[in-house]
Amino acid sequence: MTEPLLSVRDLVVEFPKRKTRLTALDHVTFDIYPGEILGMVGESGAGKSLTGAAIIGLLEPPGHIAAGEIWLKEQRIDKLPYEQMRRLRGKRIAMIFQDPLTSLNPILTIADQLIETLQTHLPLSDKDARARAIQLLDEVGIPAASKRIDDYPHQFSGGMRQRVVIALALAGEPELIIADEPTTALDVSVQAQIIDVLKRMCHDYGTAVMLVTHDMGVIAEACDRVAVMYAGRIAEIGDVRQIVKDPQHPYTQGLMGSIPSLTERVDRLVQIPGSMPRLDAIPAGCAFNPRCTQQFDRCKQQRPDLIKTKKGQVACWLYDGESS
Amino acid sequence: MSSDLLLEVKNLSCHFDVSKPWLNRLIEREPQRFLTAVDNVSFNINRGETFALVGESGSGKSTIAKLIVDLIHPSSGQILFDGLSLRETQGETFKTLRRRIQMIFQDPFASLNPRWRVGDIIAEPIDAFGLAKGQGEVSKRVETLLDKVGLSGRDQHKYPHEFSGGQRQRIAIARALSAQPDFLVCDEPTSALDVSVQAQILNLMQDLQDEFGLTYLFISHDLSVVKHMANRIGVLYLGSMVENSESDQLFKQPAHPYTRMLLDAIPDHEMSGRRRKQVTGEIPSPIDPPSGCTFHPRCEFANTKCTQERPKIHEINGSFVSCWASAENRISISS
Ligand SMILES: Nc1ncnc2c1ncn2[C@@H]1O[C@H](COP(=O)(O)OP(=O)(O)O)[C@@H](O)[C@H]1O
Ligand SMILES: Nc1ncnc2c1ncn2[C@@H]1O[C@H](COP(=O)(O)OP(=O)(O)O)[C@@H](O)[C@H]1O
Ligand code: SF4
Ligand SMILES: [Mg+2]
Ligand SMILES: [Mg+2]
Repeated sequence: MTEPLLSVRDLVVEFPKRKTRLTALDHVTFDIYPGEILGMVGESGAGKSLTGAAIIGLLEPPGHIAAGEIWLKEQRIDKLPYEQMRRLRGKRIAMIFQDPLTSLNPILTIADQLIETLQTHLPLSDKDARARAIQLLDEVGIPAASKRIDDYPHQFSGGMRQRVVIALALAGEPELIIADEPTTALDVSVQAQIIDVLKRMCHDYGTAVMLVTHDMGVIAEACDRVAVMYAGRIAEIGDVRQIVKDPQHPYTQGLMGSIPSLTERVDRLVQIPGSMPRLDAIPAGCAFNPRCTQQFDRCKQQRPDLIKTKKGQVACWLYDGESS
Repeated sequence: MSSDLLLEVKNLSCHFDVSKPWLNRLIEREPQRFLTAVDNVSFNINRGETFALVGESGSGKSTIAKLIVDLIHPSSGQILFDGLSLRETQGETFKTLRRRIQMIFQDPFASLNPRWRVGDIIAEPIDAFGLAKGQGEVSKRVETLLDKVGLSGRDQHKYPHEFSGGQRQRIAIARALSAQPDFLVCDEPTSALDVSVQAQILNLMQDLQDEFGLTYLFISHDLSVVKHMANRIGVLYLGSMVENSESDQLFKQPAHPYTRMLLDAIPDHEMSGRRRKQVTGEIPSPIDPPSGCTFHPRCEFANTKCTQERPKIHEINGSFVSCWASAENRISISS
């Protein structure tokens, strides 16, 4: 069996408050394997972005990792000194954000930014770096790349900017890209194209991706495996087809049923009562128990860990004893 | 006796002046520039129906919504509600018309006054239109409305910030209903919400429609939501309505090439293995739109005529389609 590229073990992220502390990520455990696209899905506030930020060392203080470990292959990266972490970013792990302008400098041309990134990470001459930059832009689908490379970010449409950001992320030939809602600001017809580019490029370069999104459609289109987050915990992990067609966790089941179907006529959407708890009001036991139609006594008292079943991993007491 | 027809939109256009300031124009010798946000759009909505407008951002959906509730004025065209136009009526008739048409906005955070208690927010239309007498009766109405939208009577004493996004949208719906309307314009009412909360609001909207016999103009960029809610769907591209079809028909046999592209673009979230073509290109600038059919640069069926002449609307299987290829039978009816 292949070794994981990234291994997150019992990750806990906390925000200290005046009297208490808020646990935003609560023992999050998962792996990403080389070359795969792992989806992180869940509703807003579930902890998806924080998971990405924790991995890449960009948690905003006072938020901090309070427990757990993060391994990139054989290297532990959750306790790296600032300077080492900075060098790792872009080189071994790159980021793509929802707003491409977060990653682009408005007063530099695309050439300036791409060439600088290339030369930071790879030993390339000016001429070779420019040629490589044009090649990258061409690969992500920027028409007339050798001309457009000297334009500024504002001269590109939102979709074209996100293509440039993908080129920039791939420039250092990273092993992992963390993409946080990369298509959320885009229209569907542009989104479809950006997902295609991201998938194709990462496949060609053998880059693994952690794809953070609230959109089940994006997950179904892009991912190999999916982790479903709820209230700072992982509810379920499995192959994308299993999660979409045959989810195990009652939360995932409700979530899938609440999305209107394009192929079937449904009179009434499945409705999960209530909403996700705030960090200061996460219920004891299983965090989903007050909204769960299948809950029983144990769910209110004991927190379920991820249980390995035939289909995947699920944090739900209904599957206790089924572990394989 | 009232006919089936409730809302008639006839040849509606709306241009926005997007020129630089007058002095700049003078110095730089630039002409005035206009943006066509809505371009000769016509459609009808029958009583009790849900008519949806879909299109990508900037296609003119919100502008049409604002034109219908009279927040902005058209450059040309007409909007008739039960045969009457808000622009041409006065006095009691105007007031009644105003009351009967209400709107729900996308952002439940911006659309509720943060300094008012929920009870006062909901009571305002009741007072404005004189729909209840005395504090006691008004308060009873507010409680009933809160109950109808799935909140509790006690919530009337709270402020909007004490509620989640989904609950705020319920408050916005209660406020709209308090005017006892028969027509609701809903502009992306669930686009800011998580999917599980969206399901709650969509179910609620359907329940309320059944209970009060409401007619909806439902605006969304999300085709699966629109499919779930609408009887008929109008597809907008750069301010033009390119297709207007029964919901089932639109999804089974999309007639306009742009409708087909949109359907191909929606992710297959059910992994049904739906066959799709790869989508290409982006929406051009509305300030300087392409000639002829504005979709022609992205269209695989475009010919010379498409690049020169605006397609006329023609009817095919009960759908209204604005496309030369469709009119000339150059496009196969796929399934
Ligand atoms: N600086 C912060 N202080 C306190 N809580 C925070 C902070 N940043 C994020 N959170 C909380 O952490 C939780 C997870 O946030 P996030 O990872 O951004 O969610 P997601 O990306 O899944 O929508 C949320 O409840 C959010 O309110
Ligand atoms: N007040 C305004 N002034 C200038 N342009 C506007 C104004 N309102 C809307 N527009 C433009 O009109 C077009 C249609 O906008 P809108 O109706 O908001 O589209 P949608 O709701 O479909 O996203 C867009 O190009 C938008 O930029
Ligand atoms: S009119 Fe022509 S260009 Fe426009 S959609 Fe139809 S075939 Fe395509
Ligand atoms: Mg996020
Ligand atoms: Mg809009």
